[in-house]
Amino acid sequence: MGFTLREHTADVAVEADAPTLGGVFAAVADGLAAAMCDEIPETGERFSLSVRAESLEAVLFDYLDQLIYERDVRGVLPVAHEADVNQTGDEWVVEASARGVPFEDVEARDVKAVTYSEMRLEATDEGWEAYVVFDV
Amino acid sequence: MTTREFGDIELRRVREFVWEIPQEGEMNAPARILASEALLEQIGQDKTLEQLRNATHLPGITNHAICMPDGHQGYGFPVGGVGATDTTDGCISPGAVGYDINCGVRMMTTNLTYEDLQGKEEELVEALFEAIPSGLGGGGVVEGDAETIDDILERGMQWALDEGYATEDDLAHCEDEGFRDDARPEFVSQKAKDRGRNQIGSLGSGNHFLEVQRVTDIYRDDVAESFGLEADQIVVLIHCGSRGLGHQTCTDYLRRIEKEHKDLLEELPDKELAAAPAGSQLAEEYYGAMCAAINFAWVNRQLIMHRTREVFADVFDRDWRDMEMRLLYDVAHNIAKKEVHTVDGEDRELYVHRKGATRAFPAGRPELPPAYADVGQPVIIPGSMGAGSYVLRGGDESLGLTFGSTAHGAGRLMSRTKAKQEYWGETVQEELREQEKIYVKAQSGATVAEEAPGVYKDVDEVVRVSDELGIGDKVARTFPVCNIKG
Repeated sequence: MGFTLREHTADVAVEADAPTLGGVFAAVADGLAAAMCDEIPETGERFSLSVRAESLEAVLFDYLDQLIYERDVRGVLPVAHEADVNQTGDEWVVEASARGVPFEDVEARDVKAVTYSEMRLEATDEGWEAYVVFDV
Repeated sequence: MTTREFGDIELRRVREFVWEIPQEGEMNAPARILASEALLEQIGQDKTLEQLRNATHLPGITNHAICMPDGHQGYGFPVGGVGATDTTDGCISPGAVGYDINCGVRMMTTNLTYEDLQGKEEELVEALFEAIPSGLGGGGVVEGDAETIDDILERGMQWALDEGYATEDDLAHCEDEGFRDDARPEFVSQKAKDRGRNQIGSLGSGNHFLEVQRVTDIYRDDVAESFGLEADQIVVLIHCGSRGLGHQTCTDYLRRIEKEHKDLLEELPDKELAAAPAGSQLAEEYYGAMCAAINFAWVNRQLIMHRTREVFADVFDRDWRDMEMRLLYDVAHNIAKKEVHTVDGEDRELYVHRKGATRAFPAGRPELPPAYADVGQPVIIPGSMGAGSYVLRGGDESLGLTFGSTAHGAGRLMSRTKAKQEYWGETVQEELREQEKIYVKAQSGATVAEEAPGVYKDVDEVVRVSDELGIGDKVARTFPVCNIKG
């Protein structure tokens, strides 16, 4: 399980897999962190976030968007992600946490946004796979 | 008839540099690619053509979806894409504008020559890097409270003028005089405003940069004179956009379209083409929010230019006014605007989406500022940090061929992941300095590798096609001296 950064002409794509839905969400988020930073220091405090949306793809999109928002307003690079994904009624809910590495501790570059372009989130025999393109 | 095939897409040659994907199936119009054989070969290597064909599915798309000579794969709509949709029964598409609303470039001229700068390159690049916020979390020139953000969103460069960061002359030399009066700050989310608050006046990273350049070639003496350009002159080019505020605005409206106009979205072949029907409440709100983000981006570039003037004043120990540091022009290349164009002999109002494409209006268009009304607007085409950039002027053929548009840069060829395998940032920096006398300073070595000159297409070829088609005429070429990036 884990993630791989895949080639894209202008942007960055993350391919991830994990035995659980929460695991694959966290792996994509780890890929997002890797797209911004090559070496991740051990500093920073953990913070929690909760996201809900109308579909599984939408909640993955909103989760990654929320992480980019938290990055900008907290002034930290979110890393070491953990996520739990469940369906509640008509909604999908992500309960997640990340360690926020202060910007002053890290050499990082911007990722502008998550996109739906070529997005894939599929159940497999081994668990879950995802593919997400980020705008750089 | 000459044809070319790329995967399942067959292109027909219409005439030199003009290729067409004929309309079929669910396409609402044909698609056109403006490229030489060499550029077409590169464009055909990724998903650019598939994305361009998808763009023809947008409701109300008029004439053609068009790919500029520097086109490459993006998300949803290709980068280098132009699509005009009817404002009455068409749509407006945040995906066809892009996340970085009003990403664009401006060029500032000076009365300095390359000789004046030689020997000071190191000091200048260090001072610029120190003074101008860049990279992730680098802050901004201005820290804004809620009122400041709303004021900037509402009034764009007029805010900068009132606060002492701009001159009247700066406003007179900016597209739309630096503000869109269609801006509606109330339609920009709090989330977007939160992200913008500490990024007002910042470069960001990726392909954004500030570059001190020298003018190396003049191709049209009369136009260059009108633009205030001459050989050996020092100019400054600034490339960045609306930062997190713009990115969040695009994201917010993509999601709202997904929820509120699911039926339209389901008709489109790519979710990233998400569009709001013309005349809908959401279309109006997106247009107002996008125009506000456009204003934010103009202020962003203005504050960076203001800081640049201060740095030059320190390094050259002269008032910046004495160095005649004037804004030549500021042009957007990720934008949608209501414009009137003649279609089949009839004047129609269209949303002209330019995503990685630059407005290139010729003389006579009412939108042009008085300074360029008789000559055509300046178009600034940045190259990579090891290649030249160009100043063009809007060409006479642009209105007929491209809704008044041309390219926006060299166009990317190699992925960022591959670039980091092929290049090492420090080596790129050393080679540029030793072989080309270009001084580069960046927050991240990885950014230098990702933006190495070899990852881009040949900007000379892009500009040659633009010039020969008559959509953007070559005026001058510049070459980098100092470059800072995030």
